[in-house]
Amino acid sequence: MTEVSIEKLTKDYGQGPAVNSISIRIAEGEFISLLGPSGCGKTTTLKMIAGFEDATEGAIRFDGRDVVHVPVEKRDIGMVFQNYALFPHMTVEKNLAFGLEMRKLPKDEIRTRIAKVLDMVQLTGYSERYPRQLSGGQQQRVALARALVIEPKILLLDEPLANLDAKLREEMRVFIRDLQRRVGITTVYVTHDQAEAMTMSDRVVVMFGGRIAQIGTPSDIYERPANLEVAEFVGQVNIIRGKVGNRVVSTAFGDVPVSGDFADGAELMLALRPEAVELLPINSGATGAPAKVLSSYYSGSLVDYRLELATGAVVNVQTFPRTRFADGDQVLVHAPSDRFWPLGIVA
Amino acid sequence: MIVPPRKRFGPLLLIAPAAILLGVFLVLPYLNIVVMSFRMPGQGTPYGPGFTLGNYGKFFSDFFYVQQVINTLWIGFLTTFICLVLGYPVAWQLARGASTFRALGYALVLSPLLVGIVIRSYGWTILLGNNGIINRTLTGWGLIDGPLPLMYNALGIIIALVHVFLPFMILPIMSAIQGIDPSLEAAARSLGASKVTSFRRITLPLSLPGIQAGCILVFVLSLSAYVTPSLIGGLRVKTMAVTVVDALIDTFQWPFGSALALMLSVTGAIFVVIFGRLTVMKWKA
Amino acid sequence: MSKPFFTVYCLIIYAFLLAPIAVVVIASFNAGAFLTFPPQGLSFRWYLVFFNNEVFMRAIRTSLWIATLTMVISGIIGTMAAMFYVTHAGKLKETVRVAMLAPLLLPEVLTAISLLFFVYSVGLGTQNLVGMIVGHVLITLPFVFINVSASMESYDPAWSLAAQSLGAGRFTRFRRIMLPLIKPGVIGGCLFAFIISFDVFTISFMLKGVGMSTLPIQLFDYLRTNFTPEAAAVSTCSIVLTMAVVVISEKVLGLRIHRF
Repeated sequence: MTEVSIEKLTKDYGQGPAVNSISIRIAEGEFISLLGPSGCGKTTTLKMIAGFEDATEGAIRFDGRDVVHVPVEKRDIGMVFQNYALFPHMTVEKNLAFGLEMRKLPKDEIRTRIAKVLDMVQLTGYSERYPRQLSGGQQQRVALARALVIEPKILLLDEPLANLDAKLREEMRVFIRDLQRRVGITTVYVTHDQAEAMTMSDRVVVMFGGRIAQIGTPSDIYERPANLEVAEFVGQVNIIRGKVGNRVVSTAFGDVPVSGDFADGAELMLALRPEAVELLPINSGATGAPAKVLSSYYSGSLVDYRLELATGAVVNVQTFPRTRFADGDQVLVHAPSDRFWPLGIVA
Repeated sequence: MIVPPRKRFGPLLLIAPAAILLGVFLVLPYLNIVVMSFRMPGQGTPYGPGFTLGNYGKFFSDFFYVQQVINTLWIGFLTTFICLVLGYPVAWQLARGASTFRALGYALVLSPLLVGIVIRSYGWTILLGNNGIINRTLTGWGLIDGPLPLMYNALGIIIALVHVFLPFMILPIMSAIQGIDPSLEAAARSLGASKVTSFRRITLPLSLPGIQAGCILVFVLSLSAYVTPSLIGGLRVKTMAVTVVDALIDTFQWPFGSALALMLSVTGAIFVVIFGRLTVMKWKA
Repeated sequence: MSKPFFTVYCLIIYAFLLAPIAVVVIASFNAGAFLTFPPQGLSFRWYLVFFNNEVFMRAIRTSLWIATLTMVISGIIGTMAAMFYVTHAGKLKETVRVAMLAPLLLPEVLTAISLLFFVYSVGLGTQNLVGMIVGHVLITLPFVFINVSASMESYDPAWSLAAQSLGAGRFTRFRRIMLPLIKPGVIGGCLFAFIISFDVFTISFMLKGVGMSTLPIQLFDYLRTNFTPEAAAVSTCSIVLTMAVVVISEKVLGLRIHRF
């Protein structure tokens, strides 16, 4: 097991940095995701860890040893590519044997390791197939097996689920996560899909424009986003504005206490997730802000509402479909004050 | 509602002219030449009445012609092999090299194809002749005493054929390499293969379809090449195609000429089929 | 292989590819009476000899005339076939493609011989231009086909359906949807057919009538007996002509000609 530490890593192709002085410490056996929109530098970062791109500046250490000048083939990494990159002219067995042959392992050891890894990815009996004879999900598992069978120091995955259909994608999330836990390998996973990053990772690194916006556990990222950009990238969010006075922000939902140094009179942005609120009939007598239902979208397990507050502001709310409201209904929106998260002062 | 399919002959009119042209002026003539090869030789006419196996008998009984087919095949093999060795690195550079080089290189590889074969062969006579540039330069530098025999022999023919057909080797290999996903090479590197190993184990085997196509193309073209061997080889070295054309134009032996042409084509085709069998790729669909 | 070594290797190959062509061009400006290298002074005298040589001038006119006729016929037949191939061939697609490319894949010398016997067998002979033109059309047809079908590579039948749903009739659909798409391919294919026809030797050599001569044939005959730089001047003019066609089509018209 390997600890990876990235220090002030920078990549500049000549038009300003694509990756701008980022630092991440990845613990032994940790599953970490690099999450961000396309062009945020996450793939470049992964390529630098793998050794496909040279770092312009900074260090990458595997267990304290700087590997920046170590060529790809000597870094001892396992990598899964977005399009799997299975060798089309080799059978599954030959694909799996490739990395082991490079390490000059004896033939019988190669055979036992392949049998073991095929069992692990549930593909025993497929060893003589060519990649084109496998389904997308099977190819994905071979790619995973090929990266793991060499027992690398770290596992790198570059959007490995992007080419699968929605149902298979969810199955593979669980599969990869379980496998990674069992093997206990340090893993870096690149994705632009926030649901993937949240469900699979120990920690998520959110990147924008070559910089790290936030590093944290999935619940940190979702519930305590570092800034407006992170809050809006990860899931849906309502931005509620209000003036600070006496350590409280007065909003349409009532006074929300805030910790932190905010000067009285400043206008603050608060994040409020759509599922954090409760909708009640207007005459229920509870506390809350009155609102009118503009429209509703039923999706089976949940209902999404668009509501207009008395102030004219529009909020999105997500609830279970136990009580349904019709378009035009007056409702009461109850938002517990501990579900607001301050994002900063309005510039 | 089920609509009965409407019979439409309109689209067939689009292909009709090409189909008629190819049917009448390609298929029929090829059938005709097969028939011709079994006809009796004529007296004062291109061919006589009746049929015979004699033309093929004449071919097999005269060692001169068999030897010539062997020579032609040998020249074809060497030309193909040299084209492959010379062309592969260029194809690789055109497919994977720095982009500044690529556009220029591509134009350079293609441009000889736009120059007529007579002119290109003529260029080689200027270069290779006894009084040609190469011999004069070497003599001028005092490196040789008399001219090297570069022309009027198989060497000259092969040099010129390699030049004429090299683009036909480079282009299919180039497109085969372009079709290889670069992430396959990256995957090989990530699994511990050096650049050289990754080329040997991944890129080279995956470019085999291009090599196969290029080799077949060059081999077939060089077997049937006429202009280059007749200008460079002169009267001394003749390839089969030259002999065939001479038999037809100068001596009007149509049936025998047809038999010669077909023997060359059939032997060539047999080698292509054997080559195809030997290089069959199981991993391809 | 190290990078500089590799680059040098490729440069040598490119030089090899260009050498015989460059040599011809340089030799054409030779002032001397024989092909010597380096040339004995620069001169246009061999161009003057060439322009005053009625035999060569007649051959050029014949070549241009045949190439033009070939281009038109081949262009029409090839374009129609390519349209069929892309839009209507269905299951026959691969068959149509192989058939259309056959003249390119079959040995030219064998095609030429078969065609020669055929025109005699059916009584056409070689004194009229029919055999010659047919041969040229056969040889150039694949190039028109390749270029036109390549220009329709991204053609989506749904576009035609969409146009139909918007009220366009059959002719309008051809004019507004198909034609703009294939125009570059048709022009490119035709120009390439012209060049090929202008340069082709074996077919012309076998199918020419008595006393008739195209430029490559005349040059070939000349080269068998003569070694003056006049042949180089002829060749250079021919090279310049074909290169001009390519440069005009690729740079001025912005076309991308497909050779394969």
